[in-house]
Amino acid sequence: MKRIFTISGLVLLCSFFFTYAYAQNITLKGKVTDATTGESLIGVSITVKGTATGTQTDANGVFSLAVPSNGTLMFSYLGYTNQEVAVNGKNTINVKLLAKSNELQQVVVIGYGTQRKIDNTGAVSTVKGADISKQPDANPVSALQGKVAGVTITNNGTPGSAPIISIRGLGTVYGNVSPLYVVDGVWYDDITFLNSNDIENVTILKDASSTAIFGVRGANGVVLITTKKGVKGKPNINYSGYVGFQAATNQPKMATASEYAQAINETVAYGNNLATSPDDIKPPIFDNPASFGKGTDWYGQILRNAFTTSHQVSLSGGTEKSTYDYSFGYLDQDGLVRNNNYQRFTVHLSNEFKPLSILSIGYNANGVYSYSKDAPGGIFHQLYAASPTLPVFYNDGKYGDPTDYGTGSGNNFNPEVTLDYNNHRTVDHRFTGDVHAELKIIKGLKFRTSFGGDLGQLEARGFTPLYAATVAQTTTTTNLNIEHTETKNWIWENTLTYDFQYKDHKLTALLGYSAQNYRTYQIVANGNGVPYVKSGNLYDSYPQGDTTVTRIRNATDQIHNRTLSQFARINYSYKNRYLLNASIRRDGASQFYPNPYGWFPSIGGGWVISNESFMKDQHVFDNLKLRASWGRIGNSGVPINPSVQTVAADPYLTAIFGNPQVARQGASINTIVPPTTGWEVSNSTDFGIEGAILHNKLSFEADYYNRKTEDAIFAIPVLASIGTNSGNLIGNQATIQNKGFEILITWKDKIGSDFGYSLSGNIGVNNNKVLTVLSGKNPIYAGGNGIANGNLATRTVVGEPIGEFYGYKVTGVFQTQAQVDGSPQKGTNTQPGDFIYQDTNHDGSIDSKDRVVIGNPNPKITYGFNTSFTYKQFDLALDMQGVADVDVYNANIGFRFGGENFTQDFYEHRWHGEGTSNTYPSTNVGANNNSKPNSFFVESGAYFRVRNAQLGYTFPGLSLKKYGIQRLRVYANAQNAINIFGYKGFTPEIGGAALSRGIDTEVYPLFATYNLGVNVTF
Amino acid sequence: MKTNKKILQGTLGLGLIACMVAFQGCKKSWLDVNPAGNQSATQFWKTQNDATQAVDAMYANLHEWSNIAFASIAVESMGSDDVNKGSRADDATFMNDFHNFSANSGEGQISDFWGGEYKTINFANQVLDNVPNINMDASLKGRYLAEAKFIRAWCYFRLVRAFGDVPLRLHVPKGASEYNIPRTPKAQVWTAIETDLTDAAAVLPQTYSGTDVGRITKGAALALHAKAAMYQTLTNKAKWNDVLTYTNQVMALGYTLFPNYEQMFRTNNKNNSESIFEIQCMLVPNNPDASNSQYSQVQGVDGSTGGGWGFNVPSASLAAAYEVGDPRRDATIIFRGETTPEGDVIPTSGGNSTMYNQKSYVPFSLYVSGFNEGCQQNKICLRYADVLLMNAEANNELGNTAAALASLELVRARARAGNNAILHPVTTTDQTALRTAIWNERHIELAMEFDRYFDVIRQGRAAALFGARGWKAGKNEVWPLPQNEIDLSAGTLTQNPGY
Repeated sequence: MKRIFTISGLVLLCSFFFTYAYAQNITLKGKVTDATTGESLIGVSITVKGTATGTQTDANGVFSLAVPSNGTLMFSYLGYTNQEVAVNGKNTINVKLLAKSNELQQVVVIGYGTQRKIDNTGAVSTVKGADISKQPDANPVSALQGKVAGVTITNNGTPGSAPIISIRGLGTVYGNVSPLYVVDGVWYDDITFLNSNDIENVTILKDASSTAIFGVRGANGVVLITTKKGVKGKPNINYSGYVGFQAATNQPKMATASEYAQAINETVAYGNNLATSPDDIKPPIFDNPASFGKGTDWYGQILRNAFTTSHQVSLSGGTEKSTYDYSFGYLDQDGLVRNNNYQRFTVHLSNEFKPLSILSIGYNANGVYSYSKDAPGGIFHQLYAASPTLPVFYNDGKYGDPTDYGTGSGNNFNPEVTLDYNNHRTVDHRFTGDVHAELKIIKGLKFRTSFGGDLGQLEARGFTPLYAATVAQTTTTTNLNIEHTETKNWIWENTLTYDFQYKDHKLTALLGYSAQNYRTYQIVANGNGVPYVKSGNLYDSYPQGDTTVTRIRNATDQIHNRTLSQFARINYSYKNRYLLNASIRRDGASQFYPNPYGWFPSIGGGWVISNESFMKDQHVFDNLKLRASWGRIGNSGVPINPSVQTVAADPYLTAIFGNPQVARQGASINTIVPPTTGWEVSNSTDFGIEGAILHNKLSFEADYYNRKTEDAIFAIPVLASIGTNSGNLIGNQATIQNKGFEILITWKDKIGSDFGYSLSGNIGVNNNKVLTVLSGKNPIYAGGNGIANGNLATRTVVGEPIGEFYGYKVTGVFQTQAQVDGSPQKGTNTQPGDFIYQDTNHDGSIDSKDRVVIGNPNPKITYGFNTSFTYKQFDLALDMQGVADVDVYNANIGFRFGGENFTQDFYEHRWHGEGTSNTYPSTNVGANNNSKPNSFFVESGAYFRVRNAQLGYTFPGLSLKKYGIQRLRVYANAQNAINIFGYKGFTPEIGGAALSRGIDTEVYPLFATYNLGVNVTF
Repeated sequence: MKTNKKILQGTLGLGLIACMVAFQGCKKSWLDVNPAGNQSATQFWKTQNDATQAVDAMYANLHEWSNIAFASIAVESMGSDDVNKGSRADDATFMNDFHNFSANSGEGQISDFWGGEYKTINFANQVLDNVPNINMDASLKGRYLAEAKFIRAWCYFRLVRAFGDVPLRLHVPKGASEYNIPRTPKAQVWTAIETDLTDAAAVLPQTYSGTDVGRITKGAALALHAKAAMYQTLTNKAKWNDVLTYTNQVMALGYTLFPNYEQMFRTNNKNNSESIFEIQCMLVPNNPDASNSQYSQVQGVDGSTGGGWGFNVPSASLAAAYEVGDPRRDATIIFRGETTPEGDVIPTSGGNSTMYNQKSYVPFSLYVSGFNEGCQQNKICLRYADVLLMNAEANNELGNTAAALASLELVRARARAGNNAILHPVTTTDQTALRTAIWNERHIELAMEFDRYFDVIRQGRAAALFGARGWKAGKNEVWPLPQNEIDLSAGTLTQNPGY
């Protein structure tokens, strides 16, 4: 014990003096690269032949070693052919290692270990840390977009927010739909705490045989992340940084003030046509629309080019006995909205010690502190809706007041006021990581224990000052609202791994045991008349005894779950030709207590045809493998046990009695629950083929998969007359299928010695379908967000995709009153300029029975095309990505409460008299008849984008030596610079909850990012 | 060194086994986690406090959005001739569908109203099913059950007026087999309402004091019983006897008309001498979620800070319906350009309507930002003047002209406020003329109180008064059932004729 302590204390010291220990020999330096691609190879082992002296290459492929001048160096690296080089007194030796003829020795990260890629029978994709950090993104997940077949990523531009990721379609409706993230063995629901530069490797497990080992949470795929570890060698100091800016792009134009005034006058006239009494007849709002000119450009007023800067410094290295990797990162990202800013500090600490040859211990620790000056909620809708006739300020300096224009309920705000008096901060402290120990018991048998955790404290504070800006934007008292959320999760895992090899048999067996505890709770406090305090701290802001404040315990966001699991797995290969992987996991989840346990088996087989003796003499395939797998995986991603009925004690159940009146919190039962709820289970099959031809220049991988989620935990609507609050019954009640295929093709080559390139294309095709619902043929309607009058825009029903758009089919626009009077819509407040709906059931009237499927928000095709080119010291990468065959519901057009602005596209194409349009309606589009979910609002959400374009230059190594610099690379980068889509809203990338996906209500405008960056290694 | 290694290995190995055994040994209880932050229902219904909280939740639901705001306006007010939609011409145009009777089964307000009432019924049924088993103060238990019966009757009263036959749930469904039930004929629903009210009136106290003020009283049960009876008189004249009986009982309970008609609706006169059933609302400091009544807000003056959204505004025909000099006109309608008795200046421009409901009006000075405008406003559902006018009508229908005139005069006298030049006493003894006079009095006295629309229907005059706007006999007596509900019932529920 003492010894371990000493070592840990002296790690830094040792590493600095490392070089001196061997100073009696000549110091040789060099770099090891891949002979084909020119990429730096990390962790190549270098030994002096015939001695125990050796080192490894660092994160840049560079090594430095004291050697006798007449010695011979041996270079070995997994997956590459060994190479020997005589020193011959040279000071520098650069080596190019040749990858072995097939991918035989390549290693992939799998659950609880690693495996030779050739032995793997699942659908596993790997993205190197270098490829992620190459693309400056605050969140590492964003950088995966377009890189992996079958993975759909929807980015949300709000600084600090996490993108939505789905692997092989949507298999879960209720609860957690995101994949499981496993960072250094610790499980997380999101990884916003990670700095892209700290990532060594990302592996995405897509099929059941790969994810079954994570049974309890594997159903939606698993993203395995390994953070950087120190590598044996002298200390390596690395700095990487970039500066850049984000700018809104592909923004639709809004109507000018003149156009707006004209449109609003038209709208009022249509409203007058509907008035049932002379009292409701209103005069035009604007006397002379033409006089208003261009008016206020609210987007220009509130948005800006947002500045971003990021710095990261890391120190890594190690000795035989210990390695270390420390890094510190800082990110300062402005939002597109003025005043919106996100600052993040990250720390990554990792140490590995080997106190005994049989024992290694270590830890990974990640700390993050972030401070966000948040943009006001709803500001983007305000920018869209605000009247361009409204000046930001009047000449006397006062705010422009919409009440002075009477334009109405839908835009009774001045966005500048909203922004100026917004004071909302979110502060996040999060500490994650693990400590682990690995003991070699006998040859081949290892025991590993690891304890990891996630401690988080998130405090969001909103302060509303006292102000009187406009009639509607006036406060009578200050208000302070604080939400305090704490997360305390831990996971303890113990595994025994046995590696065994006998002749042509190779076997790895794993036994494991795991316990997890998840706890999140939240307290909300709210007070009026509170003076401004700078701190966002609950205790400073609300001192003891403060009677102006109520502390409200918010029951809905409390989570406390536990999981207990046992698991076992064998990986067997015979003659490197026949592969078998099988695993079984038994999981207990407290959410399903008193029947918490589920069994989750998986099996996978593979045949490496290219290793067969009959393939020996063929020269077509360098590698050819067939594989198939089946597995059953559970999903316990429900927040609480749906069968446990709880007592509702929400604030709205507060009764008032007495004279003087007093408030009394009531409590009762307003739910119904199923008798029992069990595991949501996913049964998946996957067939894959991988291969490489033309001396490994062309490699390909194709998968077909069929994932059936059975007993999906699902909310089905129940009769409102039962009187439940949600109108739903949650339980195991549906089967959902995601079926599709993925293809990845990569071409890597070199022309001459200076030019290398790789081209890689991937495509994923997914079909989503609901196979059964317990409620039988009764559909589940949802998607009421952004739709007026309680109308619902999506339907989920047997035989159709989850959450498809459902509504009336528009067949044209009424041109004349006579046409209205002769139609089924006669007498329904319909007038010329309104939509003509299809009378689907031919009953002579238009009602909810006439609704049909009008679109599918589940993307069918996702694709990516990634290229990289190197020429001498230059490198260029172009990554393109897109989605096809998907629909978006543009709810912004019809969601009107009066007075909202229109897009210029709508204004120009609108119906405004007989014969002016038979597709676009009049400006009366917000009226009850027209705003009902209908096909006009559904547009294609397909897009193509140049996700990342990057040009880099690496300075020649020798020229930098005198400055003590090993490596220096500078680059310029543009993200999302080119976007092509037909959608008339802001961006076709729309997220949303499972049943209401793709409904565009209020979105962050699409933005392009331009960065200049530098990478230095000392 | 070797020994050390062995010991280390042995210790770790044993430790691992010990840990696994320990976890296995207690795994059952370790996975049995209480629902975080929520009380489990199995621990509820044990104490008197649980009963109190459940009763409170039931009352609380009365001021929730679908019970008190838009859905109520759409279903219970927009059809009447006293109101217009209000707000901007292009705002919430679905309200027009209720004003010109083109509303179909897909209307959000229909399903909102339906769901809102059944949610309150669930809370009442929870009390009625579970509180009897709680060991608690017997008289308090009896009163709680009686309060729940009234609330349930009140919800069914609103449902049967709006939809006719409705599923009658008198218990919390015990399992899936009791979820889907057919509509009960309205006659039986009326019977259930009357049974509940009879039971409630037998137990409830006449008044409350202190922190119980605002709870359901015996008077409320009797007054609602009278009204429930009156709504059945169109098809069953004999029910007038019940109306008379129950109104007479209420009149013996000591209610008096509040002297100042306009001030009766202000927040400083909550639960006044005239009030019989009033939904209790307040601004709960620091708790906007609990201060959730939007009754006043949705009808408030638009374009003024502290006003509201300006829906459900008085119509020109209401403004013209008043007798000359009737002070109730000014007390019922806020006219744009006026200064309210509380000193609020209603600017001549800036809003969308020329008139607003003054009975839901809360002075702008009471507005607190971050809360709904006017969340302090109680909603008066039953008051003594209503009882007097029901009493007058029953007496007239039963031939007791003098008693009818006397009750009517009480209402007119208060409105007159000592000014004998206006609102002369009604003296006619002709039954038909007196009926018309009483109906007119109800119209004026209860204007903008969500009574008029269904009152005209139960009088049998709807086709005459609303026909021009599209009201059709045989169809529009009731609204359609929500389409979603019919779909979910898979054929068990049927739609009203004509929809």
